[in-house]
Amino acid sequence: MLTKRLHRLQGFLLLVSRRASNVAKQQYDVIVVGGGHAGTEAAAAAARVGAETLLVTQKIHTIGALSCNPSLGGVGKGQLVKELDALDGLCGRAGDWAGIHFSILNRRKGPAVWGPRAQLDRQRYREFIQSELLGTHRLTVLEGSVEELLVTEPNPEKPGCHRVTGIRLAGGSRSISASSVVLTTGTFLSGSLFVGQTTSPGGRIGDAPSSAGLSHTLREALGLRTGRLRTGTPPRIVKDSVDFSQAELHPPDERPSPFSFLNTHTRCKPEEQLPCHLTLTTPGVERVVRESLHLNCHIQQDTKGPRYCPSIESRVLRFPGRKHQVWLEPEGVTSDLLYPQGLSMTMPPDAQLRLIREIPALHRAEIHTPGYGVQYDFVCPTQLDPSLQVKNTQGLFLAGQINGTTGYEEAAAQGLWAGVSAARSALAMPPVTLSRTESYIGVLIDDLISRGVTEPYRMFTSRAEFRTALRPDNADLRLTLKGFEELGCVSSQRYYETVRVRDSLRDALEALQSIVLSAANWRKKMPDILMSENKFTSLSGQDVLQYNTVSFEMLASAFPDTLSPYMEFSQRLKIEAVYRPHCDLQRKEIERIQKEENMALPQDIDYFSLPVSLSQEVREILDRVRPSTLGAATRLQGITPAAIVHLLNYVRHTGQKETRTHSKYDKNREELHTENASLVKL
Amino acid sequence: MLLSVRVGMLRGAVHKLRTRLLSTKGGVTDGLADAETIFALSSGHGRCGVAVVRVSGPASAAALRGMAGITRGLPPPRTALLHSIRDPQSKEVLDRGLVLWFPAPNSFTGEDSVEFHIHGGPAVITSVLQALGSVPGMRPAEAGEFTRRAFQAGKLGLTEVEGLGDLIHAETEAQRRQALRQMSGELGRLYQDWSHRLKRCLAHVEAFIDFSEDELIEDGVLNQVDRSVCDLQAEIKRHLMDERRGERLRSGVQVVIAGATNAGKSSLLNTLCQRPAAIVSPIAGTTRDVVETALDIGGFPVLLSDTAGVRDSTDLVEREGVRRARERMQQADLTLVVVDCAQLPCDAQRAADFLQEHLRSVLATEEQPDTVFSADKCLLVLNKTDLLPEDGRLTLERELRRVPGLPPICLVSCHTSEGLQGFLTELHGRVKTLCGNPLTGDPTLTQARHRAHLQQCTAALAQYHRYRDGDLALAAEGLRLALTSLGRITGRVGAEEILDIIFKDFCIGK
Repeated sequence: MLTKRLHRLQGFLLLVSRRASNVAKQQYDVIVVGGGHAGTEAAAAAARVGAETLLVTQKIHTIGALSCNPSLGGVGKGQLVKELDALDGLCGRAGDWAGIHFSILNRRKGPAVWGPRAQLDRQRYREFIQSELLGTHRLTVLEGSVEELLVTEPNPEKPGCHRVTGIRLAGGSRSISASSVVLTTGTFLSGSLFVGQTTSPGGRIGDAPSSAGLSHTLREALGLRTGRLRTGTPPRIVKDSVDFSQAELHPPDERPSPFSFLNTHTRCKPEEQLPCHLTLTTPGVERVVRESLHLNCHIQQDTKGPRYCPSIESRVLRFPGRKHQVWLEPEGVTSDLLYPQGLSMTMPPDAQLRLIREIPALHRAEIHTPGYGVQYDFVCPTQLDPSLQVKNTQGLFLAGQINGTTGYEEAAAQGLWAGVSAARSALAMPPVTLSRTESYIGVLIDDLISRGVTEPYRMFTSRAEFRTALRPDNADLRLTLKGFEELGCVSSQRYYETVRVRDSLRDALEALQSIVLSAANWRKKMPDILMSENKFTSLSGQDVLQYNTVSFEMLASAFPDTLSPYMEFSQRLKIEAVYRPHCDLQRKEIERIQKEENMALPQDIDYFSLPVSLSQEVREILDRVRPSTLGAATRLQGITPAAIVHLLNYVRHTGQKETRTHSKYDKNREELHTENASLVKL
Repeated sequence: MLLSVRVGMLRGAVHKLRTRLLSTKGGVTDGLADAETIFALSSGHGRCGVAVVRVSGPASAAALRGMAGITRGLPPPRTALLHSIRDPQSKEVLDRGLVLWFPAPNSFTGEDSVEFHIHGGPAVITSVLQALGSVPGMRPAEAGEFTRRAFQAGKLGLTEVEGLGDLIHAETEAQRRQALRQMSGELGRLYQDWSHRLKRCLAHVEAFIDFSEDELIEDGVLNQVDRSVCDLQAEIKRHLMDERRGERLRSGVQVVIAGATNAGKSSLLNTLCQRPAAIVSPIAGTTRDVVETALDIGGFPVLLSDTAGVRDSTDLVEREGVRRARERMQQADLTLVVVDCAQLPCDAQRAADFLQEHLRSVLATEEQPDTVFSADKCLLVLNKTDLLPEDGRLTLERELRRVPGLPPICLVSCHTSEGLQGFLTELHGRVKTLCGNPLTGDPTLTQARHRAHLQQCTAALAQYHRYRDGDLALAAEGLRLALTSLGRITGRVGAEEILDIIFKDFCIGK
């Protein structure tokens, strides 16, 4: 599968040279604005669902660029990559194609929190994404800048409600219409770049700033609330100038584990993988930060930055006197550069050079490109519904950093979901949902739309209540089947493979359960395992597989006839056996949450006049966030359990009224049917 | 001094209420916007000086005007006024009493409410309730409906509702004090504190899972968590080992009268409750089943059971009675072993041996024939002292008190009431210890529900230790479960669940 990917690239590069006006039609189902991680996943997903899709981006050759760190996955983020892959997204396979250093983080902390991660070759990653997009049916890519978002005047019946009709491109008055538009403009919304005391408009160095028109439409015409966030990136270091002898070597896993469920191996051979290096900051680093503080605009400004992945300036200011980790990561197989993770900084370039030279391994290092900071606007995501559609603008979807998140994986996850939703909305297919009880993507979306963000949102495993069920190993079982049957974004090839896996796992677990022996007999059969159970206790193969010291391979060699057909799933079976009892316990809680999520709160509720006892504070929170379900309301900050009970009562009460009218209607219909039937008889 | 209620009757009534609530549960949920006005006798059943009838709902004002014969306007809010209480239809005067008007939202339920304080005779109460029932839009309240409306109007939190349920049921002074304490949230604060500490532990483990790979988080963090979790486990276990004091205070201390046949057990029961609750006769084996009585001893509720005398019998009914007696003794908080002192050997040492043997045979069970009786769970009552000569009684008492290993001894005569005061003082002391003083020390566990959740909590904390080294995700899961269990007590859980608890607990009280 991996090897035949890239011959499409040639054709694609031809497309790059063409100009927009020659290629694009006047009308699409879905237009995606932006070619980053959110935009590419959105465009590909919309096309997979069946929508005629247009991807508009400033520069075609930066599609799929890794603007910051050359890596994918990690703890929490790795789970997102696995889920994206299970829904036939791009980034998992792109990671397997471009990875040059694979490792599973948290290996010793339990499979639910394993963090699959890879260092990437930037060039290969971009190539893969670009060729993949080219090979996607119904998807057109257009180079251009969007000048304006076209929306209808507010609906007179529903004040403040708009509908999106398309986009207008810059450099001419040409407009393209669409039923759905997905905005994935990243840090380009009123973005400014900071290095030292210089500030320039833009979202990424080397790219033109996006038009003011888009920000204007969002803020003025649609009245969306926005906030401001900041992020940054470290200087890139010339590899040859680094003294690796002064850094600690971190080799990759001996056997790389691919991200994608479709891949059994990665493109990079195990022995071809490149190592990472770890080094630490010194007191000299802190000194340089303090000395250059007055020359550092970005760090002085009071905009919310991330508490994780912070700049080196904020690290040393917040935790003075400590050593901080600096990872030296390869940028690619042929790249001459290194990415120093942990050294994101915005001081003037000469100070940056002085700073890095205070670090042992970098004492004579050269900077290729200085680090810089970005400040940008994001749209408060509580104004979105669970499909990532702007509540007051039908057909307008937002995904990625524009919603206040940080990270490739978070952006890609929203992109895929917005793409699926936008396509389904454009094609008039029934809406679909993704619950936080079944996926990290669901957790991400629910957190964004019901809690909003105060700092760049990043995924952690602790955000998922049902972490033990939402594991990286079972993302396919959780999502691929649904992705094919309900969402329509999964290919049949992948679907049938997952069905095979599901059936084999089920058979294997049944086979394990069919082996039942007394503890005494288990001891005879497998003398190496330590069993604390009474010798008469009977144990199934599944019970025994839960033991720390027992692997599926051991059982398979003891019962070759029954178990050897399932050897390819040995690791998954081991994990299933350990986690299944815990997941069974959680099922009730999951059902409760799903029930609450199914209780919709009307969007036009006037919380201030609601005839139930709620404090003014609670009313204000509800009015501001307008949770779409009772479940979402439960997770709002400042909402008391008592308030939830009142809301529940309200929902039930109004719900019952509706059912009553429904049943009346049904009754009428039934009568009508009986009448018809008797008419037919006559 | 003693108010006695047939506990059997009470249980039956509670059961009836329960069934009624279950059957109406479907309709219960949309109570908030109910236009119906409800009324009920809010003071206890039975004879009392003043009875309070409460009305809540939109028709309260109409009921007030009709019943108090007010033609214009309404009385000033929250002010007691003396009025004739009339039947709104026939205008017949039913009683003369106080009326109070509580306009919404400043009432217990948050709705318009009226209270009628009338004389406590059953005839008066019945006629007033009947008259209210004749007002259009009025219906008798379901069990717990006032409290539920109050809760729905946001007037009460979850622990408050539970505390209130107890308050309404508070038959005695000590129960009332504990209910008040719970309402003021002392128990809640204790659980909040645990919950707070547990949250910290979980947060540390989560940080270790999510960040230790790219940040410098020392392994020492987990060792700290280990210690905190151990501390919490110990504290919760200690709290759980409070010997059911809180529960006793709610449902009564179980005191069982046991002994050989014809020792005077039923006489003791009748003496204690000052009425012939049990049939007494000189014929051995008169009492064949368990006879129960609720008592108030010095402000503490006591559930006193008289049992069949323990002897080997061929009579099937009597054997069943003995079996039940033994079963009851097993559940008892305190057993009063009654001995006919005329049966005692004269020599003090031999009398002591006799009593030891006797205790063993009475308290022994089939499963554990060699049970060593614990001295703090029983009290020896030597009855029929009127049959002993005065000096013999004093010598016996003095000699027996010296014998080690015997439970405390009281010499009484149910016949002449001699020694009864001393016995009551002893009993009061024991009951008080069993209940704990509700005004000091740890807030005790007043709900079996709390106990169950705390047990789940400690079990979940054990899961943390079990997986700590093998699978940190599952260890963290243990902490999460523990936190959820605590949350179920303090009310920090999903809406559905809160309602389920409330409706279950609403079966009690009105």
